[in-house]
Amino acid sequence: MATTTIWKGVITFGETKVAVKLHAAIKEERIQFHLLHRSDQVRLRQQMICAHENKPVPVEEQTKGFEVEEGKYLLVDPEELEQIVPESSRLIEVHEFVRNAQIDPIFLERFYYLEPDIASTGYNQLVATLKEMDVAGICTWTMRKRSYLGALLAGGSVLRLAALRYADEVIAVNALELQEIPVSEKELKIGRDLINQLTAPFMPEKFVNEHEKKLQQLIAKKARGEKIAVIRPRLLQPTAADRLLHALEASLKKAA
Amino acid sequence: MAQQGIWSGTISFSLVAIPVQLVRAVAPGRITFRMLHSTDFSPLARKMFCPKQETLVPPEEIIRGYEIEPGRYLPITDEELESVTPERSRTIEIVDFIDMEEVDPLYFDRPYYLVPLKGGEKSYRLLAEVMRQTNKAGLAKFVLAEREHLVAVKSTEGALSLVTLHYRDEVLPADGFAPKENTGEAEEKNRIKAGIKKMMAEFDPGKYADQRREKILDLLKKKARESAPVEAPHPMTEEGEGPPDLVAALEEIMREVKKSR
Repeated sequence: MATTTIWKGVITFGETKVAVKLHAAIKEERIQFHLLHRSDQVRLRQQMICAHENKPVPVEEQTKGFEVEEGKYLLVDPEELEQIVPESSRLIEVHEFVRNAQIDPIFLERFYYLEPDIASTGYNQLVATLKEMDVAGICTWTMRKRSYLGALLAGGSVLRLAALRYADEVIAVNALELQEIPVSEKELKIGRDLINQLTAPFMPEKFVNEHEKKLQQLIAKKARGEKIAVIRPRLLQPTAADRLLHALEASLKKAA
Repeated sequence: MAQQGIWSGTISFSLVAIPVQLVRAVAPGRITFRMLHSTDFSPLARKMFCPKQETLVPPEEIIRGYEIEPGRYLPITDEELESVTPERSRTIEIVDFIDMEEVDPLYFDRPYYLVPLKGGEKSYRLLAEVMRQTNKAGLAKFVLAEREHLVAVKSTEGALSLVTLHYRDEVLPADGFAPKENTGEAEEKNRIKAGIKKMMAEFDPGKYADQRREKILDLLKKKARESAPVEAPHPMTEEGEGPPDLVAALEEIMREVKKSR
């Protein structure tokens, strides 16, 4: 639990105030690759290039604009934009509570753990209540000059804060323009039976990232100058629509 | 809005194989801004730059490398990366189905959608519908570029969505954060409960987005009153970061901008 405090704030709604410290909930340590220039194997840098002068532009010469008509922009200070939700100092302001089941995972962006700050009261009571009622507090806060939308949730006996994506940052399903294709009740029934047969409890500890180790081995091998055998992935034959029922029946037989 | 695919391959469960494409589920906000050069107001484009040759590098000249010692890189090709686990780089093989309620939301990482490719439409529809009816998700391991992901494939409003999950060891332990003693204080709990009850609402993500959009529009209106828009030099040689997405709500603002001039 020796993670550092990212930020300190006060959860507030009605008469309730709980002072908390934010901690990271996720730590990813994965092999990092960099982008190189093929001809000289120099690591490439991302640069903002001026379309007019065709040259890199330093950060202090970068600004943001909103295009009002073609080629015409209203200049907006990027910092001003981030603070459109009024700076409320150190408040995690809860605006409303919603049932947990209503929050689709697609909106979840990043989780933090909250630890009670010194002399903070009401932490345990808040966690217990959120858990009991199975609700989350929809809140906003401003951290490091950026404003966030979030959900305050109970996870076991610990309070969690999840940063949420805004609805206009999530692509709607109807934009995918999927076709409506009829599926027979018989196919659905066998499909359900099959899925029920193949259902197991979710045990995340069962899965480890073996790939990372193999990747290390590949790098070591290559660093020693050994040749890497290239194996082409095999593509599976798609199940044709008129063979679907047959494939489902055969799957069910196999699973039983 | 036909989307560009990030990856294409097959999703399979038992003996059924469905050709699919992976597409983004997350987009930049509806009101988009362009990065501009503050000296000539020309749009900026994000490009890869070689600091040694001081040139811009086109995509076909870019390769991936691993840093073996500071400043020294070992180039690795996409084919070599794919060879690490070839069976997982073109197939999302569902190994188990799980009940969605069992997944701690903490595990969710990045969301995507899957769309069917030619010939996969019917099986896709079946899988999406069956998972919707049973509220189940399929678990699979799948390699995207150089990373292997544990993923959950589930049904979202008739579509298949795919969300990458964190591995168990990436989730930090939370024990010790909550204070141990819970000295009664039923009174405090009752007060919190009453407060929450008064503030219950429906989760309406569109509302929060609208509120933010309104604030951005207010800021833009204020800006429009303060100063006239700047003009980028002509002709423009390169495109910027993609065309701005002008939603209907903004047309009104544009009219106001013009009126105020």
